[in-house]
Order: sequence, then structure tokens, then C-alpha cells
Amino acid sequence: MNETFTCGDHGALMSYLYDECTPAERRAIIAHAAICGACAEELAALGATREQLAAWTPPETQLGFRIVSDTPATVLRPSRWWQSPVPTWAQAAAAALIFTTGVTLGTLRGTPPPPAAQAASTSVAAGGAAVTRADLAALEQRLRAEMTQARPVSQAAAATPAYAQVLERVRAMIDESEQRQRRDLALRTAEMVRDFDAQRNDDLGRIERTLGQMDGTTGAEVVQQRQMLNYLMRVSQRGQ
Amino acid sequence: MTLTDDELVARSMGGDAESFNQLILRWERPIYALAYRVIGREEDARDVCQETFLRAFRALPGFKRQAKFSSWIYRIALNLCRDWIRRQRRAPVMQMPEGVDPGELMADQGPVESIEDLVGRRQLSEVVEEAMALLPEEQRTAIILKEYHGMTFQEIADMQGCPLSTVKTRLYQGLTVLRRHLEKNGRLSSKVEGAMTPRLVKRS
Repeated sequence: MNETFTCGDHGALMSYLYDECTPAERRAIIAHAAICGACAEELAALGATREQLAAWTPPETQLGFRIVSDTPATVLRPSRWWQSPVPTWAQAAAAALIFTTGVTLGTLRGTPPPPAAQAASTSVAAGGAAVTRADLAALEQRLRAEMTQARPVSQAAAATPAYAQVLERVRAMIDESEQRQRRDLALRTAEMVRDFDAQRNDDLGRIERTLGQMDGTTGAEVVQQRQMLNYLMRVSQRGQ
Repeated sequence: MTLTDDELVARSMGGDAESFNQLILRWERPIYALAYRVIGREEDARDVCQETFLRAFRALPGFKRQAKFSSWIYRIALNLCRDWIRRQRRAPVMQMPEGVDPGELMADQGPVESIEDLVGRRQLSEVVEEAMALLPEEQRTAIILKEYHGMTFQEIADMQGCPLSTVKTRLYQGLTVLRRHLEKNGRLSSKVEGAMTPRLVKRS
């Protein structure tokens, strides 16, 4: 580009806009834009367009690729934990956890009722003469013994690192889910508020316009009545 | 000590895979961003990003080191994007990008951005994305390389295999379409004042 600039030289406009021109070219464009409204406006609009482009950002994603082997070369993407194969020890721990939870729940269901209920049931049983107090005491002892046996197993399972890990993951998932729901809710609320405000402004504008029209109409009627009154007065004065 | 790209390339060519991993770490975000903006789908952009580094690693013994490593992988990525577009046989970014979670977008922001600002920014981002989808591939790629990767006209010309004047024409035509679309959507006043000062873009 020369030290003079002519309208329609889009290449020169781009050089200026992206700051890839010489100082002389820059001076020429600035001088031209000072006297040419069309070029000045175009430069300003294209500059503003560029500003808006900054808003476009790609979604965040998990990367972290690594070369893990060179024959043949492979790049592995970071696998998500729920997609990765679960190790045998973790599967065994999960099975143990489920089993002990089941046993514990089953045992708890068999816990003896409170004394009042026990007395009532005893009296009912006595009426039927099918179950004796000694039977119930034996049952109670047996259940307590089972509970005592089951407890160490569940404590051992809870103490294993696998159990802690699984628990940690579940907690993390719950936390993440809650956070996401909160964020979605906040976002939707904001969008609703924005829509509501836009609608309200629209309605207010419409009401104002209608009121303006009514004012205009009323004013015109008043003027008309006044003119009529003046005419009648003039006619009546001539008659006198 | 931070090694330069050239040093890491030299080490990688000597068989040090860990050095290549450092190059991946350094360049995977820009390459992913480039791929996403060109093809418009997160999952496919990740695939392109992965394939770019895989090809680069395999082709490393043949790398002449006359060009910069970054230019080389950008070229690989763009070729892959072009292949992807050809395979799809459709306008690539016309469809809505998958998996865009507004919650995640919000999580990226610092505490200073209000929810209203976030909504506004997201809407603007969507309008820009729509507008970019209207452009032919060459114009879109030129604008992406210039605006988001801060390349010079000459670098873009080398990348696209066209004369420098063609790059400027593509940029001008593309920006003009974007300007009209933004004006139509009320994102840009048709009478803009100021903005006479050029804005420099740092290479991401």
C-alpha cells in the first residue's frame, strides 16, 4: 500500500485493523478516515465486530493426552473414572459392602420390640399358648449373637480403603450433582427474570403509547369544542 | 527450567517421549480450541486434538524443523478438521454444539461476574457462533486463526496455501458478514463510533 489510501481498498483496511501496516500506511488511513465518513464508519463497525468475537469461547473439556507407547504410538485420552474397568479388589469390596449392609439391615429388622410392646405380644402369645417366654428369650439371645457376629464384618469392610474410595466417589458425585442443579436453577431464574423484565417494559411502553393517543384525542376534542363555543358566541353577538 | 518448543522437539526426536508429552501439555488447549471453533462439536474436537498429536508423534522423525512446531501441528489439525468436514458433508457448525453446560460456563467465571452478565455473555457467544456458521470454511478458518490464535497474515497464508491478499479478502468478507449478523441481532449498533484503534490479539 502507498502513503495514500483510496476507498474500497479492503486489504489496507484489514492491515490497519489488525495492526499489520507500516506507520506511513497507518497515517494515510487515519487521514483518509478523518475526511471520509463511510470509511470511518466501516472501520469502527469492523473494530466493534472484532470486540464481540471475543465472547465466543469453546466449552471446557477434559484433555491431558499423553504418549504412552511408541510402537505403535498411541495417545490416550484421560478416561473418566466411571468408564474405567473396576479392579477385582474393588468389585470384591463393593460386593462385601452390599452383603454386610444387607445382613445389618436384616438383623436390625429382627431387633426385639420395646418392653411395652413385648409385654403386649407376650400376653397375646400367652392367650394363644403357642410361644412361651423362654422361647422369646432364646430368640432374643440368638439375634443378639448374630448381630455381634455381623458387626465386625461391617466394621472391617468400612475400614478398607476401597470402601472409603467408593464412599468418596459417591459423595463427590452427589456434591457435583447438587452444584450443577443449583447453577442451572440460578441460570434459569435469571433468564426468567430477564424475560419478565423485557415483557414488563414492553407492556409499559404499550400503555404509555395508548395513554398518549388518548391524550391526543382528548386534546383535539377540547379544541373542537372551544372552536364551536367561539363560533356560537360570535353568531350570538352578531344577532344582538 | 522451561524448555523451548525447539528443545523439546529435539529431545522428542531423540526418543524422549516425556518431552513430547510436555509439548502436548503446552499445545493441546489451543489445538482443541481451534478444532472446536472450526468443526463446532466438543467430542469431535477432542478426537481431532488427540489425532493431531498422534500424527505429529508418528511424523516426528520426518519433521524438518524449518517451520515452528506450533505451525506444524496447527497445519495437521486444520487438515484433520478439513477431512472431518468433508466426511460430514454438511455445514459443520450449523448444529448446536453438544454438551455445552451453562453451569460449567458459569463455573469458569470468577466471582465478580454476575448471573446476568453470564447470561448475556452466553447469548452473545451463541450469536457469534451462529454468525460464524454462516461463513464459508476458508473465511471462518482465516478469522479463527487471526482472532483467536493471533497469527499474522503471512502465517495464515502459509497455513491455507493461498496468497496474502486472499487472506485479507477472506478476513474482510468474513468480518462484514459477521458485522451484519450481529447488527441484525441487535448486538452491534449500525452506527458505531470509536473503535478506530486496532486491537492486538495474543496467541493463545
